[in-house]
Amino acid sequence: MAETAFNLLKRANRLVAISVGVLFLLCAGLVLADILLRRLGASLGGTDEISGYVMAIGTAWGMAFGLVELSHVRIDFLRRAIGIPKWRMILDLVSLLALAGTITIVALQCWPVVETTLRNGSRANTPLETPLALVQVPWFAGWIWFALTAWLTFLCALALVYQGNFSRSEQVIGVFPESEAV
Amino acid sequence: ESLSVVGSWSSLPLHKEYEAPFWQATLPEASGGNLQTTVTTHNQMNLGVGEVFRLLGQGVFDVGMTVGDYAVADAPELEGLDVPLVAMSADKAEAAVKAARPMIDEIFAKRFNSKVLAIAPYPPQVVFCNAEVGSLDDLKGLKVRASGRMTAKFLEALGAEGITVSFSEVPGALQKGVVDCAVTGAGSGYSAGWWEVTTHLLPIPLGGWDPVVTAMNMDKWESLDADTQALIEKEIAEKFEAPAWSTAEGALANDIACLTGKGECASGDSRNLVLVEASDGDIEKAREILQSEVLPEWAERAGGDWAARWNQSVGAVVGVTIKTN
Amino acid sequence: MLAFVSVGLLALLSLSIPVGIVLFLLGFGIDQFFTPFPLMRGLGSMVWSTSENAALIAIPFFVLLGEVLVRTGIAARTYSALDRWVSWLPGGLVHANVATATMFSATSGSSVATAATVATVAMPQADRLGYDPKLFSGAIAAGGTLGIMIPPSINLIVYGFLTQTSIPQLFLAGLLPGILLALGFIVVTAFVCMVKPELGGARRTFPLIEMLKGLADLLPIILLFSAIIGSIYKGWATPTEAASVGVAGALAIALLFGGLNIRMIGAALIGTVKVTAMIMLVVIGASFLNFTLSAAGLSQELRGFLEGLGFNPLWTLLVIVLMYVVLGFFIETLSLMVITIPIVVPIVTALGYDPVWFGILMIVLIEMALITPPVGLNLFVVQGARRGGSIAEVMIGAVPYVLAMLAMVIALIALPDLALFLPKAMN
Ligand code: NA
Ligand code: NA
Repeated sequence: MAETAFNLLKRANRLVAISVGVLFLLCAGLVLADILLRRLGASLGGTDEISGYVMAIGTAWGMAFGLVELSHVRIDFLRRAIGIPKWRMILDLVSLLALAGTITIVALQCWPVVETTLRNGSRANTPLETPLALVQVPWFAGWIWFALTAWLTFLCALALVYQGNFSRSEQVIGVFPESEAV
Repeated sequence: ESLSVVGSWSSLPLHKEYEAPFWQATLPEASGGNLQTTVTTHNQMNLGVGEVFRLLGQGVFDVGMTVGDYAVADAPELEGLDVPLVAMSADKAEAAVKAARPMIDEIFAKRFNSKVLAIAPYPPQVVFCNAEVGSLDDLKGLKVRASGRMTAKFLEALGAEGITVSFSEVPGALQKGVVDCAVTGAGSGYSAGWWEVTTHLLPIPLGGWDPVVTAMNMDKWESLDADTQALIEKEIAEKFEAPAWSTAEGALANDIACLTGKGECASGDSRNLVLVEASDGDIEKAREILQSEVLPEWAERAGGDWAARWNQSVGAVVGVTIKTN
Repeated sequence: MLAFVSVGLLALLSLSIPVGIVLFLLGFGIDQFFTPFPLMRGLGSMVWSTSENAALIAIPFFVLLGEVLVRTGIAARTYSALDRWVSWLPGGLVHANVATATMFSATSGSSVATAATVATVAMPQADRLGYDPKLFSGAIAAGGTLGIMIPPSINLIVYGFLTQTSIPQLFLAGLLPGILLALGFIVVTAFVCMVKPELGGARRTFPLIEMLKGLADLLPIILLFSAIIGSIYKGWATPTEAASVGVAGALAIALLFGGLNIRMIGAALIGTVKVTAMIMLVVIGASFLNFTLSAAGLSQELRGFLEGLGFNPLWTLLVIVLMYVVLGFFIETLSLMVITIPIVVPIVTALGYDPVWFGILMIVLIEMALITPPVGLNLFVVQGARRGGSIAEVMIGAVPYVLAMLAMVIALIALPDLALFLPKAMN
């Protein structure tokens, strides 16, 4: 059950990651087009403003994928030194709990930014006059998704630990993902 | 009472010569030790420039100061505080800011939950070019680095192309022709060595005067007793705002002398940029563009009766009228 | 507060809590215990203004470039071409490891990616030709570290972003020390192998015609480097924009050498998102911690602390260097950078040192951290590409190169112009 749930979560985040990746690629294309046009004496204008938005939205949504792929950096010399799987598991759970709690706080604190923007109808201080809500709402949603993914992962891992399935839970919240284990 | 103060750019004279001494020493002393302060700046805190007044309103710190123009994302009506090329001297700019003050007070109370304490000038934002330029008209077709929405719109209307480059990358960008011209304070351009990579200087405030607003969080302000409030208002007007304005004109003359080698330079070695005097025709044309295109667009962005209020206050002082339908 | 941050940092990090999260937690702690102001209300704004930044888009672009390049097979061609040119030196193929790493550094913004690329193509050769694994893998781990010194460099972009230093100047400043360090690695390898020939392999010479043919295989990488760096210094593109030129170039190489298909691009994009998210969580966390620290007046406290020590600038600098070496044993590189920049750089510049120069010095120290145990990412990457054997072998093999880096640190302090000559000459 817990394993199935986690695999679903992982697959969902993979889809998100592909979309973010495509967004980055499109942005690279846009920037390149701007360079070429400038050589020809024209300009698209506003590409760096758009790059900034892509970066904010892309990183927010990519965070959860980083989590399920275990790529957020952890210093694991103590963890490595611990031989007993049970203690290692506890360290992993504590670390994930810290992440889920912190990201929840971060995500909730992102709301006032969006709220101020909505209240003032803020538009970027640029010739494009981008309505900031247009970019801040997806950005905020990305952080909420990160927090949600963290809690769901935590629940899955907890269930696996409860079942005593340490080897599996290690692949869910350990330090190296399955695919990179040598 | 303890105040946390976030100043404007720490490297610029306004902070070093006026903000820091006023908040660190002058005001605490004048209060007889009742007011104590910790002073940092928004760049030392790594704050986005658009965030300063937002955070001030939320009470993250008590007193904040930065260029009013940085906050126009949240308050388009604030753009009217700093319109390019309407105030050609410090006296005019000061009069325009004074006329705008009631509007600014209202905007800050409503949008940023803050009480405006003072508005002081940065040096006028003049134009450095690495290109043969003889008049304002010659900017047509050139790539110009400028910041701020209204300046960018004005450049567009002039037929120039606005390009975003961060301050530290400007010399490289000028040298390689990524931009042909760049707008900044004359003193900043002098000390950052822009004269090494440019040939011409148009000492006209194409980027306006970048007035720096000093404001206090409204809840904090209202928690102070009437005597303290009066003390702060009096001290800041006399010992911060007035001196900052009174040296603005002289500083500009000095900086221009330093950059062009015409006149006495008190800051160091003189340089030899070509001084391009804007003709009356230039200014006339600029005003025409402002009145017919840039300002009406602003009136629409700002909405409400801001255009009418601007006409009656700032407009009356500088002799510009926004044509509204 | 200094003690709180230091102890808290070490304690939370050793609990293996993710680095980015530790930075946030410390920021929460500073807000709670050291300032009367509600700094938490600034959290959302900090997250937004840090991530909404056009300069940082270069990070996913450079990562993507590397991801594409690794999947084109160009690395294997480069390696075999360089083998023909440098294997006559004492140490043989070990030099090809360093040389290939140096070349890839010129297109890659990351040290880990560089080491991984070289390790993938080099390891099979070591088995085939019968090399002692220690020096052979140590050379890959060390050579890979050049990825963040020779431009382009993600770490230099982050440094420039956090300290508001010119990124093109930093790139220029890194070039000469990067090349010198590569030469240093070659010299160290040759020296070690002359003293203990059994550590290297057979010295091999190739016919001139073979060597010349190999040059054709170097062309793609050289062209890619020229396109990236050239577009910056020709003034066609900012460093950010140049990264997009690199992406296009890498895709073109993939197209020419086969391997360009939807599957490959998909895998490269996914890898890019993963690495970008990893970097950005740390950068955003550091940005928030920086905000709380400066609001709580840490810089004043630090200045007082250092003045209390009464050291002259040089001694203070040496203390800082020592601190990096020690922290580098335990802390991963990017984290080490972003944790320390807000605290250290203001001190160093206040002492009168050039921030561009210090950026390069810090990069050398951080490269060292990549190959010193117990936590050295490049050691792990190289170990990951090996078939069996203990990681201790890689660690021992890296020791001579750590010494070369220490020599570089001393050289940079004694002769700041090693870093500053090019930026000055270009201005
Ligand atoms: Na590199
Ligand atoms: Na290390």
